[in-house]
Amino acid sequence: MSAYLISIATFVGFYMILALALNLQWGLTGMVNFGIAGFFGMGAYTSGLLTVYVGFPFLAGVASAGLMGLVAGAFLSMLSVRLRGDYLAIVTLGFAEIVRLFLLNEDWLTRGPRGLSIDVRPMSESFDRNEYGIFYLGIVALTVLIVYFIVEKMRRAPYGRVMRAIREDDVVTETLGKNAFFYRVQVFSIGSMFMCIAGALYAHYVQSISPDHFVPMVAIFIWMSVIVGGAGNNNGLLIGAGVVMLILEGSRFLGDFVSFVDAESLSAIRIIFIGVLLILVIRFRPQGLLPEPKFQAPVGIKTTRVN
Amino acid sequence: MGQILFYGLMDGAIIALPAIAFTMLFGILRFPNFAVGTFMTVGAFIALTLNVTFGAPIWVAAIGAMAFTSVAMWLSDVIIFKAMRESHSISLLIVSIALSMIVENIIRLFYGNDVRGFELPLERPIKFAGIKFTPDQLWIIGTAIVAMLLVHALLKYTRLGKAMRATSDNFALAEVRGINTNRVIGATWLLGGALIGLAGVFAGVDLVIEPQLGWSLTIPVFAAAILGGIGSPYGAMVGAVLVGIAEELTGHFFEPSYKVGVGFVIITLLLFFRPHGLFGQPEIKK
Repeated sequence: MSAYLISIATFVGFYMILALALNLQWGLTGMVNFGIAGFFGMGAYTSGLLTVYVGFPFLAGVASAGLMGLVAGAFLSMLSVRLRGDYLAIVTLGFAEIVRLFLLNEDWLTRGPRGLSIDVRPMSESFDRNEYGIFYLGIVALTVLIVYFIVEKMRRAPYGRVMRAIREDDVVTETLGKNAFFYRVQVFSIGSMFMCIAGALYAHYVQSISPDHFVPMVAIFIWMSVIVGGAGNNNGLLIGAGVVMLILEGSRFLGDFVSFVDAESLSAIRIIFIGVLLILVIRFRPQGLLPEPKFQAPVGIKTTRVN
Repeated sequence: MGQILFYGLMDGAIIALPAIAFTMLFGILRFPNFAVGTFMTVGAFIALTLNVTFGAPIWVAAIGAMAFTSVAMWLSDVIIFKAMRESHSISLLIVSIALSMIVENIIRLFYGNDVRGFELPLERPIKFAGIKFTPDQLWIIGTAIVAMLLVHALLKYTRLGKAMRATSDNFALAEVRGINTNRVIGATWLLGGALIGLAGVFAGVDLVIEPQLGWSLTIPVFAAAILGGIGSPYGAMVGAVLVGIAEELTGHFFEPSYKVGVGFVIITLLLFFRPHGLFGQPEIKK
């Protein structure tokens, strides 16, 4: 049971990294990214292939995945980041589909639908099975902390003000002399880098990856984490990721109590439930559990409301 | 070469109707509805039930599928979207994705994950001018053309159609001029649903029927609508044929398994060079 809880916690960690990255791109800068699964998968395969075929050590694999994310994110965002939000959604979703098709079809490289097994893990000799789970959870937790620290630092810095200004109105931001395009490309690339790093950590954790791990549904779960938690709020989405995992895993046990539904229907009911919940949250609490903190004028300064 | 063009036309006939529905809904409501593909799946499964379980001929099943999908899409507006008219387009986009997850899994609950097909009499392919085709395929292309002509007549010659175009062009102005925009929105959902249901039947005849059927067509449908200039039904028709032909050319000269990716490449390149589509007007940003 405790091994199960540790593995759940590790997965929450992956979700948190992805959600922090999405918050950077969408919550703070207003750039829609539905290609999360694409970057996640790209990171997983980059690190997996480099460690298996080239013999990279774990850290080098993860770092290469991050670099890959940076480059791919820069490429995709330079092509598309000028677009309106809904177009960007379609382009990024298409990007994820292309990545999945590539992983599926180029089996000389990726071993296609059979999947890739990865045996490289850091310090795997030093621990037994149970201890190793805890050790890896530590690695993931440390990464979450580092990413959280960077994103939070960016949010609070003057840089973060530019990000939010671009989110609210890019024309005004440009008028004030900030190059919105460069900011967007930078933020998008950094977010993509984090997503690829999450993918690499995931690959070395599950040790067997295949293209069907990286379907658009992953993006929905991460969006849900950010929306439920509160877009723009880095603390909120950590809770959001926990809530999403609670629903995903908690409903698994529903089968123990309800005997008349089979596993197939149960997984369908689970996704229906998540869909309904997502719609209800957007409808009735669009700001999420923890709304984004708004900067307020210091006391004593009169603010006038313009409507 | 003729064969490739024919198959491209065939793909185009399947994605043209949902692309028209998608683009008309976008024109009025200003968000991309990701549930378009899933409602095609709904149409295919309703027709499947009528055709296989109840033994109805395929054309009766298709009419039933159109009616059901039409009402189902209209209900999705009444239950979900109507209360959220003022929401941000990205929120609505996510709601539509959630809706498509819900609908797809309701289908799974009823029908499971099996791959199915209609009960159609097997037909020998006909060869004409070096092009091989089946009567089914001719029927699909013919029906799609008739449906498009009907949409054209509706938009051009009826009061409702003119109101639809006016509302899509400028919502506030249409409202001020006394058009009942709520009725126009309702009519657009009903019309869109009927087109999508019919296209679902086409897809079910041409491909296989499974819960993911519509999702796999979503990107090509979006590509067709964006290529034609979003909000323009005529553009969507041309866009659909171009996307279909581009897919088949890729399948022939490059790699068939990448066919689905073509839509994405088209969208990205097009948006990069001509952000308002081939036939769309540039949007003036305030």
